[in-house]
Amino acid sequence: MLTSYILITLIAMFGHSEDFLGTTLLSRPLVLGPLVGLVLGDFEQGIVIGATLELIFMGNIKVGAAIPPDVITGGVLGTAFAIMSGKGPAVALALAVPISILAEMVVSGLFVFRPVWNKRFDRYAEDGDYRKVERLHILSGLLKPLLMGVVTLLALLLGSDAVKSFVDTIPPWVHSGLQVAGNMLPALGFALLMNLMFNKDGAPYFFLGFILTSYLKLPMIAIGGLGVITALIVTGITHKEQPAGGDSDFDDFDMDDSPPVMVKPKSTLLTQSDIRSLFVRSMALEANFNFETWQNTGFAFTMIPVLKRLYKTRESMSRALKRHLQFFNTAPHGSTLIIGIAAAMEEQNAREDNFDEESINAVKTGLMGPLAGVFDSLFWGTIKVIAAGIGTSLALQGSALGPLLFLLIFNVPHLILRYKLTFIGYDTGTRFLQDLSKTNVMDKLKAGSAILGLMVVGAMPATLMAVRTPVMIGSSDSAVALQGVLDQIVPHVIPLALTFLVFYFVKRNVKTAYLLMGLLMLGFLGSVLNVFA
Amino acid sequence: MIKLLRIDDRLVHGQVALTWTPAVGAECLVVANDKVAKDDFLKMTMNLAKPANAKLLIKSIADTITFLSDERSKPMKILVLVNSVQDAAALAHALPQVRSINFGGIRAREGARPISKAITLTDADITLIRDLLAKGIELEVRQVPTDEPRSIETLL
Repeated sequence: MLTSYILITLIAMFGHSEDFLGTTLLSRPLVLGPLVGLVLGDFEQGIVIGATLELIFMGNIKVGAAIPPDVITGGVLGTAFAIMSGKGPAVALALAVPISILAEMVVSGLFVFRPVWNKRFDRYAEDGDYRKVERLHILSGLLKPLLMGVVTLLALLLGSDAVKSFVDTIPPWVHSGLQVAGNMLPALGFALLMNLMFNKDGAPYFFLGFILTSYLKLPMIAIGGLGVITALIVTGITHKEQPAGGDSDFDDFDMDDSPPVMVKPKSTLLTQSDIRSLFVRSMALEANFNFETWQNTGFAFTMIPVLKRLYKTRESMSRALKRHLQFFNTAPHGSTLIIGIAAAMEEQNAREDNFDEESINAVKTGLMGPLAGVFDSLFWGTIKVIAAGIGTSLALQGSALGPLLFLLIFNVPHLILRYKLTFIGYDTGTRFLQDLSKTNVMDKLKAGSAILGLMVVGAMPATLMAVRTPVMIGSSDSAVALQGVLDQIVPHVIPLALTFLVFYFVKRNVKTAYLLMGLLMLGFLGSVLNVFA
Repeated sequence: MIKLLRIDDRLVHGQVALTWTPAVGAECLVVANDKVAKDDFLKMTMNLAKPANAKLLIKSIADTITFLSDERSKPMKILVLVNSVQDAAALAHALPQVRSINFGGIRAREGARPISKAITLTDADITLIRDLLAKGIELEVRQVPTDEPRSIETLL
């Protein structure tokens, strides 16, 4: 057993290393659940539990410094306890929810504690000692996996027997109540997603997604495909602009179309591999995330290969390090655009004597907020939603394709864009953004991704939520199953209605924790009273 | 009408574009900031970040007051963004319809101390806050709409 505990702890530590791995969703329950299942000899159960937890935590996204419940610790421990005690997803979730809320406090505590190092970072910068800056960034980053690894191992060592004997005492009616309650919880995730995108303009696309799945039984992948096509048609991205529409006729990000405004000097001080290492290092941007200066040491850490190449004296290195240790926070997925621009400006600074060094930070701070707006919406608001929709729909059937597609759908566009943006930022500087702002590409992209996201969310209640009613109408002889009647009119209407009910309360700013409790109670009572199953 | 007046030193960014704008149903975002109003580069970047369904206006503090005092702005659902307590106080004193202010994010600065995860305040800020509280304006600390709102009085 000890070997499994250690392996499970390593899985939790791997999840908590995500801040070194570029926010690539490796830490989501849908990915870690199957790994825990593998360790405990029930891969398929791990996939199903992972998918169930993913659905519930789907609406919890990390935007800015808003820290959601710690799904890594909660998910890993919940999955492990459920499989070890031979129980299914219902027990996993009953354990994962409270654990993740408790673990979040520990993680927040770490983010509050980390600024203690900031004085030390400043001193290293003063000395121009970039090696020590790098080392402390990594060490501080390792604190999170280490700390949470200890928490996980202790919970397993001390909690396993207690949890198992507690779970064994759960009577069957409580267990089936939990199951129904668990089946209802995804409504909260869907409602939180709707809260990000649903409005009267978007409503038709939401219902289109619902109808395609509830009546036509299309799988989630088909909805994704149709969503992309619908978005392309509606926004007219595939059409060339009418000449009357103005001067913009480029429809993609290919900058070769437009005449070069700023020609880069031929003899560059930086090599291609320097720029590539910016991309690689940007993966560790959030490793030392803290509540005082946020991603600042990550930014400095990322810039170091470039600074090393450009600044050979202690003072110039010291000034550069201090520059990049200032407050910074942006969406990690698109961070490389700013990093590339900063590298180009540093290069110019190294070449020209009278370059205004302050302008580097002015551009950085000017861009970090707006670009976070762009990339948070794109990645959390759309791509993650599609990846989770398709991934969980397959994983709920026990297919290993679920977690795999989940990672691929998110990370193929993510990593390509992140890599390309490094070079776009470096090669074209802010001109890329200036050109982009003259076109309506961004508006189309935003409108299109909203349509796509809404169709997928609309399809979710019909595919990912299994709440039915066993109620019979009429006397015992001629009784008719209510569910049968409902299925003839609107299939999956109960999950849809529940989703809208929760959405109504989300709109009225009811606390998420209350909604969670409310749904659990509703499911539980519904099961006991035989209204829901 | 003003649906939300938010202090956020990054002005338009992920939390605003992705969560607050849909949560309050804003049709129009007003960035009230004297520096940004004069800076074409910053204006350009903010235009890129604006949410798809909302209009973005970037105005100086004085112009914002004129705009929000105008009857024609009354039917619009407006989200106002400022980056300092000082600017928020200026708007609140000039515009009687400001009944509450959301504290979203103010980064660590020289002479400021943290009162929550994302908010730091200087002594000058606290003086302004006491004035606002004395006027009966509700001041809440909340990063994203789904967070628990906390009254600033309990954190000072």
